[in-house]
Amino acid sequence: MSEICTPSAPFFGFMGVTASLVFANIGAAYGTAKSGVGLASMGVMNPHLVMKNIIPIIMAGVLGIYGLIVSVIIQGSITKPEAGVDANGAAIETLKYSLFSGFAHLSAGLCCGLSCLAAGMCIGIVGDAGVRAVGQTEKLFVIVVLILIFAEALGLYGLIVALILSTNTYICE
Amino acid sequence: MSSYMNGGSCVGEFCNAGWSEVLTNMSPYGWGSFGLAFGLSLSVIGAAWGIFLTGSSLVGAAVKAPRIRSKNLISVIFCEATAIYGVIMAIVLNGLMKKPEGGVEDGAFVEGWNWGAMYFAGYGVFSAGLSVGLTNVASGIAVGVAGSSCALADAQDPSLFVKILIVEIFASALGIFGIIVGIIQSNNCQFPYDVA
Repeated sequence: MSEICTPSAPFFGFMGVTASLVFANIGAAYGTAKSGVGLASMGVMNPHLVMKNIIPIIMAGVLGIYGLIVSVIIQGSITKPEAGVDANGAAIETLKYSLFSGFAHLSAGLCCGLSCLAAGMCIGIVGDAGVRAVGQTEKLFVIVVLILIFAEALGLYGLIVALILSTNTYICE
Repeated sequence: MSSYMNGGSCVGEFCNAGWSEVLTNMSPYGWGSFGLAFGLSLSVIGAAWGIFLTGSSLVGAAVKAPRIRSKNLISVIFCEATAIYGVIMAIVLNGLMKKPEGGVEDGAFVEGWNWGAMYFAGYGVFSAGLSVGLTNVASGIAVGVAGSSCALADAQDPSLFVKILIVEIFASALGIFGIIVGIIQSNNCQFPYDVA
């Protein structure tokens, strides 16, 4: 046991896994639900436009996948403590996961999770208003998709930074 | 440094000399059990929330359009599936939490007990349970809102049912993401039960 590799270090890494997944999925759920309500309302008046306007819901679902990707990558980097036997036969344990790695992974998880939460809320509100507008004026479709792409890029920024941060590891020997 | 591992001796006056002391102050079995409890209970809360959102819209719309009542029970079943994910996760996590059979003598943990692995497993189970539970709250509410819209749209125009069901499927996929991460995580987190 040292000052850098403590038994409590994996807690922060695991909280990064949870944060990434949970916040991204909350954003994705908000985007899906809000756009879905707009889609159903619009579909009553214009049923032939419904399939085209599923795009906001797909884009919101992609945010959930970003959260899943970062969770799985972080979770693969959390090294387990090794148990072994030293020269005299006494059992020793070596903690390999450091606080440096733990806090880096927590930060990566929060980056991706909270970015995708924000992106999901944005996609939900824009998607809801957008599909209702497209139901009335079809040529607005391209503009709505353009705005949704800008919103999706916010989640992508979170994913990129999270992937960069998740490579910051220090393993105790 | 930590209090539980050293048999109750704290460095700080309130066992709060740093995060390490605070986080290792609860037994890993406590962390694991809370994770299991949150995993199941939050999943059920999400499922219940979704079911009441869908169900209330369904029966309200069915007053004027009774033909929708059997088809739209699919939305209720989608919500129930999020509760099933919670049950699956609870059973998986329960299988990881093993009794310290070989490791306790006269009420104390033996010399050489693998504390690092025990805390690792405790935090892992807590995180897996929380991941699944909170994801299922979000997924359950989303499926509920989508199901409610589906019932109302179906009451107006029957051709819309399948199209709005696609929205529900996307919402339900979020719960699957949660259980995927939970199962991958729990693979690594076996509680030690013997000195080996």
